[in-house]
Amino acid sequence: MTPIEIGRLLRAGTTGFVAGCRVSQLTVPAFGALVRAPLEDGYQIYGLIYDIHIEDDGLVRQLVTAEAISDEVMRDNRERRIVPVEMSALAVGYEQGGQIFHLLPPRPPLSLDVLYSCSQSELGRFVKAGRFGYFRHILNAKDIPVSEVLSAHIQQVRDVTQDQAWVEAAIHEIISLLRDDYPALMSVLGALSDVTV
Amino acid sequence: MSINFQQIYVQVKDIGQGARERRLQKEQAQSTARRLLERYADELDFLRAKVEAARAADPTLRCACPLNETLASSYPPPASLSPAVLLAADGSQINPDRHAAVQFCLINVGAIVLRGGSGAAPEIHTHSQLLYGEELETQTGTMTERLVALRRDLKERSLLEELSRDMKGAVVTFTDGPIELWGGRDGEDARAYQDALQSYLSLLSRMQARGVVTAGYVDKPSANLVVRLLEIASSDGGQDSLSNLRGVSDRWLYGEKTAPLLPPGHRSAVFGLQSRAEKEYQGRLALCFFYLNVGAEGHPWPVRVEIPRWVAEDAQKLDLLHAALVEQCRMMGSRPYPYLLHRAHEVAVVGLEEKYQVEQMLIQELRRQEQEVDHGSYKQSAKNLPGRTRR
Repeated sequence: MTPIEIGRLLRAGTTGFVAGCRVSQLTVPAFGALVRAPLEDGYQIYGLIYDIHIEDDGLVRQLVTAEAISDEVMRDNRERRIVPVEMSALAVGYEQGGQIFHLLPPRPPLSLDVLYSCSQSELGRFVKAGRFGYFRHILNAKDIPVSEVLSAHIQQVRDVTQDQAWVEAAIHEIISLLRDDYPALMSVLGALSDVTV
Repeated sequence: MSINFQQIYVQVKDIGQGARERRLQKEQAQSTARRLLERYADELDFLRAKVEAARAADPTLRCACPLNETLASSYPPPASLSPAVLLAADGSQINPDRHAAVQFCLINVGAIVLRGGSGAAPEIHTHSQLLYGEELETQTGTMTERLVALRRDLKERSLLEELSRDMKGAVVTFTDGPIELWGGRDGEDARAYQDALQSYLSLLSRMQARGVVTAGYVDKPSANLVVRLLEIASSDGGQDSLSNLRGVSDRWLYGEKTAPLLPPGHRSAVFGLQSRAEKEYQGRLALCFFYLNVGAEGHPWPVRVEIPRWVAEDAQKLDLLHAALVEQCRMMGSRPYPYLLHRAHEVAVVGLEEKYQVEQMLIQELRRQEQEVDHGSYKQSAKNLPGRTRR
């Protein structure tokens, strides 16, 4: 199966990276989705999308005040003007030598590296490697909507893998990790209740 | 702090104190202008004769000359028109800089093609020309900023002509600014100007032959061509009467806030443009213009649209242009300006960063070829030093 390219890297750090894509590519990436940035010699970095951001500019601000916008102008702004859609991803692990680690990557991806959406098998392989080690990165992340990212991710895994046992194990792991932080636990469980109903 | 704000403060207060008196004088002149407009609105033969007499006395005269629509007439945009192909072009340049390490200039022209009603994304075209070495030499010296601007303007128009060549159906092209080619008519650039003008006239003729509508869009026009016509109409031939409408502008006349002559979307009468250029732009290439209120109710915004006579005399083409410009301006919402002209500007504009990149590319290539590369001037180097800032 041909991998689905969803954008190219704009900037990166050890804990996360930001990619840009054309508006025409925006149908693929989704909030909470697992993405990967293959680098060299089988080394690739995995990330979870926690924000999809669309920047404005002066012209767009002015166009929104117009009574009507023609199809041609709409497509001009979406396809011709250089205003990329920005996706922020939290680094949740990496793969090296055929083995997946739920640790922060040794090196971040570089500018213009291609990002791919993880396929069904890649998603299943990543989430079932180890024992939910990557949940630690999500729960420790500042300035991201932790509850929503976790529930979106678990919903995606459940929909793709149909593995209810994994979902239950994941929820138990979250309860265990947040047992000393009652407000955070309630927030996550509240969001998860919408997924698991 | 390089400005002496103490001195500026005193001068600003003086300006403020004289404001009331200036306003009264201006209101008086505005009232006179309105009265003259009403008085001469239908006297087209009389006005044409006055312009002719004034032109005989002053060949450099620049004013409006009525064609066959009354002065105060106003025309709404056509209700509906079949879709047309719209093309806009704009240009940008890097001027020669004698303080730079390497001498070059660049002309960058961007054009955008929108096929109305197609639903397709517009096409974008860019043409970049680097001038170096002998190309920077002219018959009278070296390339001037005025010559670069002239070549840029000509390239904008020629790109539109090239792009419109194989197009079928209604085609409207426009550029920002007057359609008359400016700059270098006199002085050391005169010959280059004449060459450019001949090329321009021939491409205008080709566009006319193909029935392509072309126009120049002048936002916030400062020339008071119709006011000048009123001054001439009311003059008795002496010089004193020619300045009695000082302070009144064509923009005010057509776009007065309380009672604009032109409601939103309306165009004025089409006028001939009396100027020195009339010898050059003759027959169906003669320059004409109209005012167009692209603003909204309560916020009039008259702009001047310059057109060749072949467009002015063809009601269908005039309607097409009128409708296209109103639609283009409405796309920009609260600050109306043709969308495509803005996009052409975005495509064409050359930033400082790009100028630096081109300069570095040239320097590297010259060094690769073992050519000597000069240094930038020490004056420029000193100016580029980071300045001390005050908190």
